[in-house]
Amino acid sequence: MQLLEQVQDGVRLSVSTPEENIRAAAAANDSLILEFEAFRDGRGFSLAAVLRGQGYRGRLIAAGKVLPDQARHLRRCGFDAVELSPGADPAPWRRMDQVFSAAYQAASGDDRLVWRQRHTNPDAALAARLNARWGQADAEDLLRAILDPALGRKAAAISSFGAEAAVLLHLISRVRPDLPVVFLETGQHFFQTLAYRRELTERLGLTDVRDIKPEAAALSQADPRGDLWRSAPDACCAIRKVQPLAQALAGFDTRITGRKRYQNSHRAALEPFEAADGVLTVNPLAAWSADQIETWLRDHQLPRHPLVEQGYPSIGCWPCTRAVETGEDARDGRWAGQEKTECGIHERALVPAC
Amino acid sequence: MYRYDEFDAALVRERIKEFSDQVDRRSSGALTEDEFKPLRLMNGVYLQLHAYMLRVAVPYGVMNSCQMRRLAHVARTYDKGYGHFTTRTNIQFNWPALQDLPAVLSDLAEVEMHAIQTSGNCIRNVTTDVFAGVAADEIEDPRPWCEIVRQWSTIHPEFSFLPRKFKIAIVGAPKDRAAIRTHDVGLQIVRGEDGQTAFRVFVGGGQGRLPHIAQEIAPAVRGQSLLAYLTAILRAYNLLGRRDNIHKARIKILVAAIGIDAFRDEVERQFAILRHEDLRIPDEELARIQAYFTPPPFNDLPATSPAYDAARRLNPEFARFTRSNLREHKQAGYGAVIVSLKPIGGVPGDITAAQMDVVADLAARFSFDEVRASYEQNLVLPHVRLEDVHAVWSRLREAGLATANADLATDIIACPGLDYCSLANARSIPVAQALSRQLADAALLEKLGPVRINISGCINACGHHHVGHIGVLGVDRKGEEYYQITVGGSPDEQAALGEIVGRSLPAEEVAPAIARALDRYLEIRNDGELFIDTVRRLGADPFRTAIYELTDAAA
Repeated sequence: MQLLEQVQDGVRLSVSTPEENIRAAAAANDSLILEFEAFRDGRGFSLAAVLRGQGYRGRLIAAGKVLPDQARHLRRCGFDAVELSPGADPAPWRRMDQVFSAAYQAASGDDRLVWRQRHTNPDAALAARLNARWGQADAEDLLRAILDPALGRKAAAISSFGAEAAVLLHLISRVRPDLPVVFLETGQHFFQTLAYRRELTERLGLTDVRDIKPEAAALSQADPRGDLWRSAPDACCAIRKVQPLAQALAGFDTRITGRKRYQNSHRAALEPFEAADGVLTVNPLAAWSADQIETWLRDHQLPRHPLVEQGYPSIGCWPCTRAVETGEDARDGRWAGQEKTECGIHERALVPAC
Repeated sequence: MYRYDEFDAALVRERIKEFSDQVDRRSSGALTEDEFKPLRLMNGVYLQLHAYMLRVAVPYGVMNSCQMRRLAHVARTYDKGYGHFTTRTNIQFNWPALQDLPAVLSDLAEVEMHAIQTSGNCIRNVTTDVFAGVAADEIEDPRPWCEIVRQWSTIHPEFSFLPRKFKIAIVGAPKDRAAIRTHDVGLQIVRGEDGQTAFRVFVGGGQGRLPHIAQEIAPAVRGQSLLAYLTAILRAYNLLGRRDNIHKARIKILVAAIGIDAFRDEVERQFAILRHEDLRIPDEELARIQAYFTPPPFNDLPATSPAYDAARRLNPEFARFTRSNLREHKQAGYGAVIVSLKPIGGVPGDITAAQMDVVADLAARFSFDEVRASYEQNLVLPHVRLEDVHAVWSRLREAGLATANADLATDIIACPGLDYCSLANARSIPVAQALSRQLADAALLEKLGPVRINISGCINACGHHHVGHIGVLGVDRKGEEYYQITVGGSPDEQAALGEIVGRSLPAEEVAPAIARALDRYLEIRNDGELFIDTVRRLGADPFRTAIYELTDAAA
């Protein structure tokens, strides 16, 4: 808003002038000065709002008894300028005009509107807030916060029932044992994984673990011999994991994973809350170290995946998983010798095939 | 309940920054006291008789345990260890030091609380039914709409310098548990012709020196048009309301002066020329806010609890508490527990820091982390399993919060009066205390049934005396404190102003006179007839006779 240090020429009307006279004056003039007789007299704000609402495009100047603390109100009601009283310090006017970064009400001026901003990328805003508030909290509190019914999220967890899966599932069992847990039954798992899935589910008292299988028709068309992994591992993952998961999670706006930063360099910057494509992803264990995982598993005497003691720190389908050597990252045994590091369920937009 | 996102949090932080700037400019002399006063008032800071007072907003009365604990912290750290819940469901701290206020506001901001617009000539804290989301007669939960109005009215560019303060209340049921007809604008959720949410709108209610019951201005404003309609009302008021006399500046005076029909015409004229596209509540924002108020994950419970029934059989004191302070819940197996801030002989609405901690613990453990403040100056644990009510009661009882008097004669609404307030003519608290002691007998109290007794220390009527079934108003008679008594007022959907029964009484005669009026009620009531219904049937005369019986005999 313009700060005017000189007395302005032009049609000057008191804010005590009746609305119809103000409107008549506006119709006849392309500039109006509205004189406030007391800063407490807020009629000038409504008069400006009425004129702007009626499409008045002329110049509106506030004059008389107004405070720097009203700068923003004046501007947002449609004033272009304020005539400062002689000797007034313009600095507080500038400060007070810009003191708020956003506004709830639509009005004149270019302020950020909260109600619009919120819905341009609502999950990103939510994720930022949750990271600020719960990012440092312990995993169980974080899980409790996101599963608080007051937040109104529709949540499901994803678990591979792999080497470290027991930690997340254990936390879930303490917070909400009936949380839907999606297990991608690709048809290519180690038999030990399937046994472990049953054992852990029963032991933790999880009541809604869902085995999600690839669509039979899609499999028979794209991978009739069950060896697509040899020639096109991405396509194999797509048909066995990505598409089935998308279908399984349709309708959920929040998914909870057990991913951790230390697992590989791609996950090094993982935040506890991430937003993309209308889905909020929650990684309660993001900041956990391998030692913390081990300690937790030991302290709570959780059953271990049988392949762990054979040198498998990360376990997927059998054709694409091998044990790792000393010095390798935990996930180096996945798609070893290929560029591929992720199956894709955590990276792409999940769009149901149907 | 609603949680802040980063926009809400930023706004509160920026408001603190703005206020600090204003305090600095007042210190340097850049702002005069006259200029500073409305700015500090809009941040909840009053100058009272003995000290500054900070009024903290509790939006539509809803808090979680963390917020309640923070209020306890404020009371302990910056005040004398207690706070006072008001009829606007806010909480006041009476003794903070001016230099501590920025720290208090920062502490509050950390738990999503503030003191914005708890005073001043702006739109104040919106209030609602304390049993929102609990009561079975509810058409729709009013709290999401309260939150929408809260956000829309916060730092409103056009309506921050109104002729006078402006209060809005919203209910979601035909039964009015928020006294909406005593508000500048009262909103009642109804179903529109299309089956969608609509609002029956009342305007021009208010208490104070010239009390008025609000009149209906619109039968069903569509939910999407609510903010446009409110804008039209406020704009008409801002342009036409009187500014020459503080006692005649409320919207009630404008509506009474030009008549409801002329005022409606003015509102409709403004409504017609508004930019509706700017005022329509975005569907996704409504949905986002409503999601915060989905019911908590109740268990499927039978409607009765054998443990609860047994406890009632075995313990008459507990049974009495449940009869007076437990309200039905629409979810089977749950109830809403009223935490009485009206101990016999106590100060209505006052609560100590230790008691706040107890209520916070109980809310966290037994009521889905929720506690509500009612305009009657009590607290409510809204969602307690019947089988837990005994445990809740035991803990409340230890803390002095289990007086079995909700809505009964000792559930007195009272303003702080001349003990604190610079406007008061007379003290309210000692009169409330004397009356509370006079009517302390629990059996008598229960026999009397619901009686609303409201006490104000001056004509500004913060203690709602006009709409008490029995009202008491402190007046100054040549430097002496005297009290005028009214009978027949009512705050609900049958709202009415009480009738003044006669000359005012000295303080010590108030409690005995009211006790005689209540005795008279017991003599003349029909079977099962409530006090207010007896007054409506017979008028004020029998009570007038009882109130002046002794003084007349002496004269």
